[in-house]
Amino acid sequence: MIKNTHTMNPNEFDVIIIGGGITGAGTQRDCAMRGLKTLLIERSDIATGATGRNHGLLHSGARYAVNDSESAEECIRENRILRKIAAHCIDETGGLFITLPEDDPEYQNTFVESCLRAGIEAEVIDPELARRWEPTVNQNLTGAVKVPDASIDPFRLCAANMLDAKLRGGQVRLHTTVTGFIKEGDTVRGVHTRNAQTGQVNDFYARIIVNAGGVWAQEIAAMAGAQISLYPAKGSLLIFAHRVNKHVINRCRKPSNADILVPGDTVCIVGTTSSRIPLDACDEVAVTPEEVNLLITEGSKLAPVLSSTRILRAYAGVRPLISTDKDDSGRNITRGFVILDHESRDGIKGLVSICGGKLTTYRLMAEKTTDLLCRKLGNEKKCMTAVSPLPGSEEGSYEKVAQKIWETPSTAQKAAAFRMGTRAFRMRSSDRWNDALVCKCEEVSVGEINGAIERMDASTLTDLRRRTRLGMGPCQGEFCACRAAGLLAASHGCIDREREDLNQFLQERWKGNFPIGWGDTLREAEYTQWVYKFVLGL
Amino acid sequence: MRFDTVIIGGGLAGLTAGIALQREGKSTAIISTGQNALHFFSGSFESVVEKNERMIDFFAKAGIPLHYAPGVRLMPLGSFRPSALCLEDTDIFPTAKVGSKVLIVNFMGYHDFFSTFLAEGLEKEGMQCRIRLLDLPELEPLQRSPGGMRSVQMARILDPIWEKFVQEVRLLIKDEDIVVIPQVFGLKDPSTPGLIREDLPVRAIFAGTLPPSVPGIRTQQLLGRNYERLGGTYLKGDHALRALTKDNRIIGVSTKNLDRHYLKADTFILASGSYFSKGLRSNPFEITEPVFDLDVNYSPERSDWYNPKFAADQPYMHYGVKTDENLHAIKGGTVIQNLYAIGSVMGVSHPRFGFGAGLAIRSAFHVTDQIVQESKV
Amino acid sequence: MKIQEYTQSKYNFEECMKCTVCTAYCPVLQVNPLFPGPKQCGPDEERLRLKDPYFFNTALKYCMNCKRCEVACPSGVNVAALIQSARIHYDHTPPKVRDRILASTDFMGKMARPVAPVVNAVTGLGITKTVLDATLKIDHRRSFPRYSGSSFTAWLKRHRKEQAAFEEQAAYFHGCYVNYNHPQLGKDLVKVLNALGVGVQLLEKEKCCGIAMIVNGMSARAARNASVNIASIRKAVDKGLKVLSTSSTCVLTLRDEYPELLGIDNDSVREDILLATRFIFERMEAGATLHFRPDYHRRIAYHVPCHLEKLGWGVFSERLLRRIPGVEFTLLDSNCCGIAGTYGFKKENYEAAQNIGAPLFDQIRSVDPEVVACDCETCKWQIEMSTGYPVMNPISILAEALE
Repeated sequence: MIKNTHTMNPNEFDVIIIGGGITGAGTQRDCAMRGLKTLLIERSDIATGATGRNHGLLHSGARYAVNDSESAEECIRENRILRKIAAHCIDETGGLFITLPEDDPEYQNTFVESCLRAGIEAEVIDPELARRWEPTVNQNLTGAVKVPDASIDPFRLCAANMLDAKLRGGQVRLHTTVTGFIKEGDTVRGVHTRNAQTGQVNDFYARIIVNAGGVWAQEIAAMAGAQISLYPAKGSLLIFAHRVNKHVINRCRKPSNADILVPGDTVCIVGTTSSRIPLDACDEVAVTPEEVNLLITEGSKLAPVLSSTRILRAYAGVRPLISTDKDDSGRNITRGFVILDHESRDGIKGLVSICGGKLTTYRLMAEKTTDLLCRKLGNEKKCMTAVSPLPGSEEGSYEKVAQKIWETPSTAQKAAAFRMGTRAFRMRSSDRWNDALVCKCEEVSVGEINGAIERMDASTLTDLRRRTRLGMGPCQGEFCACRAAGLLAASHGCIDREREDLNQFLQERWKGNFPIGWGDTLREAEYTQWVYKFVLGL
Repeated sequence: MRFDTVIIGGGLAGLTAGIALQREGKSTAIISTGQNALHFFSGSFESVVEKNERMIDFFAKAGIPLHYAPGVRLMPLGSFRPSALCLEDTDIFPTAKVGSKVLIVNFMGYHDFFSTFLAEGLEKEGMQCRIRLLDLPELEPLQRSPGGMRSVQMARILDPIWEKFVQEVRLLIKDEDIVVIPQVFGLKDPSTPGLIREDLPVRAIFAGTLPPSVPGIRTQQLLGRNYERLGGTYLKGDHALRALTKDNRIIGVSTKNLDRHYLKADTFILASGSYFSKGLRSNPFEITEPVFDLDVNYSPERSDWYNPKFAADQPYMHYGVKTDENLHAIKGGTVIQNLYAIGSVMGVSHPRFGFGAGLAIRSAFHVTDQIVQESKV
Repeated sequence: MKIQEYTQSKYNFEECMKCTVCTAYCPVLQVNPLFPGPKQCGPDEERLRLKDPYFFNTALKYCMNCKRCEVACPSGVNVAALIQSARIHYDHTPPKVRDRILASTDFMGKMARPVAPVVNAVTGLGITKTVLDATLKIDHRRSFPRYSGSSFTAWLKRHRKEQAAFEEQAAYFHGCYVNYNHPQLGKDLVKVLNALGVGVQLLEKEKCCGIAMIVNGMSARAARNASVNIASIRKAVDKGLKVLSTSSTCVLTLRDEYPELLGIDNDSVREDILLATRFIFERMEAGATLHFRPDYHRRIAYHVPCHLEKLGWGVFSERLLRRIPGVEFTLLDSNCCGIAGTYGFKKENYEAAQNIGAPLFDQIRSVDPEVVACDCETCKWQIEMSTGYPVMNPISILAEALE
């Protein structure tokens, strides 16, 4: 049964990574760069857990500087690295920490000192300047500090890591569930899997298996007989339909509810709440009306205009924090990460779990994990992820990229360069079909959709949304979902499956709409009902 | 400005009421906030199952021929739905087995027509399907424009060259007995689809596309034109703001464009539609009717408004203004004798008048009959 | 205000439901595939522009600001204003010499007036048209508005005393066209208003309303004109006067484009700026009468200009014309004539302008009226040039029908 893993058996790998979040994708890239043969298995799609359900904030570390200096230092180091290697995923917005009249005025001093100690460039600026920079910020602010926060697209980041791994020979299996571990005595040798779309069952073998299951890591470890204790903390957020702010705006006080407003691509996001939830509730987290009210009320203190700005969606994610002591909100638990070697911990060989951490520090987590794997596998290659740009990020600014490709780019081409970075070079075709827009809100073209299907493992409409922003605009996929369904159907040829996919996509959009179902959102929802039920007959 | 009747809302319900009253010699004005749901009209008069001679005659007089043939029609994503009364270029069949071999024709670069979905739907009903794409050079400018290949723009180019289109389709037909064509013909001239049908050697079916709907826009324009030719005052792009009331009667309505110039009338008809057209407004706390502040039938508990399943019936769509049995509107529990509500401002469906086009037209007839009757007394 | 009781956004762009109705009514989109259409240029791309002005699309220049998208929009989005405002804020390319000339209607008028016969003769010459076409890209197929030898203001100043004798007064914003090209329209208004017992006076100062400057990238100059005009209008309104205009575009600009696009506050005077036909209609509704010639007869086809349709006031002109005994009235279908002020004069737009106008021209030919009535001077040039039918302002028709 057990074979030498260095033979060419296609089902045998050096490393299998379970989990297609940013930690898994980052680890696969690092392993692939060090020459390991890898397979990443994800039960759903990329970035479906905490990776895709947060603010999309590239922390400067300032938020943690006062309470968690270790995380703060990690954040600022990684922040600087990611700006270089993941330029096309990052919008260098800068960040502000504002003090409002009701906030403790002394906190700003403590905050700035802590930032500087952690190596974060925190600069106190004149409140008047802050008001000028951000016309929508609460004009009553009494203090403002500028920090190097930025906005980062987690889907793009995750996809780019995975793509790089694939370009280096890594394999990715999405929509594939690990149903059990193949064990030989106290050693984990492989996994049983099942494809959720085709029902196909496969076994894969590896010298080491990495559990990067995020909040599901506890469950995965348990299947192998190992123990992890996680602290799932739910956080709810609201997406507003357009950017009202230029900088990331934070409250300069102890972290609390709805005190960060992040401009992300064409929208802005306010969040979060924080409350502990049972582990078995992590699969279906819903945003409650109370959370929605709290987010709008508190968010409006950052930017009063939010109380009368159209809301696109409400969503919630679960932070996979590491359990330490009793803390009902989880606000005081470290944002640091731990790597659990189950061999030394539980006596189970061949299994490593990586838990906790943050989007901002994913690369460091991946590096440390891969270091451990390499030590175990006798690989002496150095980590290069901090200096080697991700595919798409080789050229820097999207303006430059767009200019290089098209000379006088159209808005849709500019948008493609913004999203894809240098990968947009593939879009330069003379084919007159490719430029047609599928999603007009976000300006996603046929070429970009087909590229995501062909090269980025997108097999459902929701997969396409994560990779291209299809259906992320104000209409939430009214017409574009149908157009893209036509393109997907052409690629896999199964209409029944695509019809079901369309249903699921609309359901998923509605899930985020009805908690904020009033005003223009309700008008849009009604229109979508007409179009799909009465006009198209879905 | 004075009228016999002022109608708020220029969709199917409002236009039907306006035309009906103008034909009875009444002077009317329609206040229309932009265009309306006719732009997404499927071509089938939903919820009309009987052979409604009055409707058929009513539309014929406006230059819109309808045909009645209870059966099923082919939906854009390949399913079949019951239908009975339709625009002339919408096809109804006795059963879903419309033929034996089907050729589905689409245009290169047109993503708003779902040929593969249609093929699968037809194959489920036991037909053999073949899909072919036409690449007409006349469409090239649209193909090169990122948002160019859309139904209306295509219809503008295709209508004048329909004969060429027919020639191209003839070349594609092998042994098929049915050809399915996107509904991108007949924007201005309702006869174009008929001419295409006559010229093709096999039966042609026009299947729907993503909105805007070409036959829907044509219908809207014909109705609007008919209304204006009958002497109706069609206030386009304006919207009603406030009402002037006296002794529980409406005296006048002010509009955005006319400042303090009130439109006065003996009777008023509210045909302002549902949420989409802002006939109903919602915020986190309430659902209201903005012009007259009429009583709205809805649950005060917001969580009752929605069904978390998208595909399920949505409670909020059933909310609407309250009326008495003759469709007089109700405010503060009191019936307003010279204000009527018609169409979807009453909610998506009505126990007596049905839903969709049926609801709009039937409730409009019901109210205009009363107004005409009352004026004779 | 309670949270989310209502929402607001610039020109209501967030109220766009992406229903695509506006695209079906945009005249430019029908003829010019380079124009991405009102929905995409307006509410769709506004979100991208808010992300980074870099996403501004130069194709917005093809929008001719006819505002038909706004009339068609079921959601109340000010699509055209959104597009023009984006051009004002993000397009920093300086306007071409040609566009500067076309936009400077008052300056051109002033220069041309003293030598009007010469100018008219010269601009009518084939050679001039060829030269203008080649040098300035003003299309050679276009006929030019003729200039008048004496200005309207000079005429009214000569009649100041008799006008002042009327107990009731109204101020007249005559606009460049009446002043330099067609003083007769102004005289016709004076005749009609006098018949109603109203005397006509000029504003203390009047500059070109500036619409041509706004759409040709000279909004700073337009704003300077706007300030002067609003200050003068305010003085007139303070005296209790209504300010009337015979041009639907001037009225739209003074009332709506000033606050929406130029940020000029006109709140306190906006409702006192009226199209003359509305003023007359409201006077007659209040009981005033006009005595028309019993033998008057005209077959009239009335075209509602796009900007009047946006104002929503076509009904006033229509109802006045219908009141004239002996008028056979046909309301033409709602269509754009294609000229859109200076748009159709530009060589690159000539074909588009003529194609846009074709359905209107066809209908006029089939109705075959004696005269086309229309409240807009640029529509008049376009329709006359394209169909050969004479076009008159409703005010001139009223004046002609008076006893």
